[in-house]
Amino acid sequence: MAATHADVHPPYLYPDYKSTRLRAPAQPLVRVAPSPLETTGPVFPKQFVKESEADLTTWGRSAPLGEKMVLVGRLLDEDGRPVRRSLIEVWQANASGKYPHPVDDHEAPLDPNFLGKGQVLTDDEGRYRIVTVKPGAYPWQNHAFGWRPAHIHFSLFGNAYAQRLITQMFFPGDPLLAIDPIFQSVPEAGRNLLIAELDLEQGLEGVALGYRWDMVLRGPRATPMAV
Amino acid sequence: MTVPKPTPSQTVGPFFARELLWKDGGIVLFPGRGNRITLTGQVFDGNGAPIFDALFETWQADANGKSPSGDDGSRPYGYGRVSTDTEGRYAIETVMPGPFKGPGGETYAPQISVAIFARGLLKALHTRVFLAPLDVIKDDPLARAIGDPDRLRTLIAARDSKDPTIYRWDVRLRGAGEAVFIEF
Repeated sequence: MAATHADVHPPYLYPDYKSTRLRAPAQPLVRVAPSPLETTGPVFPKQFVKESEADLTTWGRSAPLGEKMVLVGRLLDEDGRPVRRSLIEVWQANASGKYPHPVDDHEAPLDPNFLGKGQVLTDDEGRYRIVTVKPGAYPWQNHAFGWRPAHIHFSLFGNAYAQRLITQMFFPGDPLLAIDPIFQSVPEAGRNLLIAELDLEQGLEGVALGYRWDMVLRGPRATPMAV
Repeated sequence: MTVPKPTPSQTVGPFFARELLWKDGGIVLFPGRGNRITLTGQVFDGNGAPIFDALFETWQADANGKSPSGDDGSRPYGYGRVSTDTEGRYAIETVMPGPFKGPGGETYAPQISVAIFARGLLKALHTRVFLAPLDVIKDDPLARAIGDPDRLRTLIAARDSKDPTIYRWDVRLRGAGEAVFIEF
């Protein structure tokens, strides 16, 4: 039985995540088939992505602070087919939980050797690999003593505009997951899909921890079953 | 056979500016010519306050109604991406898309597919903005699915009376005048 989108996707309105209260639409969405335009999508040229952009640790003059890690995985569609030559964009906080962004007021140090952004195209098997440092957790003002669990942001294009997805990847065993309204907004059946697993042999011996995280996009034409 | 479950959506958050925005990301590239237009407006929340940290993306057909394929060597054709500014304003410079046919012969009116991401949006908001008046779009598949003309009007960009290359479209995410959003 295929999972329906409602099983795994969060609702728009999730009051514990305060910013949803004024931004979530109140009216029901109108369900339509993707137009012929929306079953196609932007095609990123190979030269759009430099190979070096898959390694977030080589941007500066020396290595960034933090726990170095390798993340591997595959991008698939709901039929289990690889999504090939598709752009994956990632961004994240540094090891201290700080973004190089003017509105990030967390009193933690910037790392001059870490910009926290990267991109990669999947290969012919839908595989990707990035090298980075584990992002730090950071406080936010959604609620008293709120802290976001460590996460890496992902922006995915698939092969069709209807597949466009922006999401976040989390780390196994993080105690902050239980108190994070953004993560908890995902129905229970979907939550483990956002957590990477340790895969030590994908790491670099003596240098970097290995993690694995596969992602699944809806089929380009599939219309979810009516409820 | 185990069917893989789709990866759940999460918010883009507030910290995407350096990561996702390109120089000239609001200028949509096409290989051919077309009538240059600008789609511009403001994005508002449920209190009518401008949303200053939204990511506004567009994907559209070319002037002949064809889906873009390929790139100019640096960026994909047909795709625009900007953030809103402190007044919630976005602007996309592009060409007027042509109408196109669906698989059942239905006609899609001139339109741009839009996705909005922001802090507080746990999933993308998808919709289509029409670049033609109500009487021209009434047989469009989305216009038919919406029915109610008052709701439909939330998706019609207004042509500027002084500069006919400018189409204005304000987007209210919630509350009075809330735009119609779609799911596929």
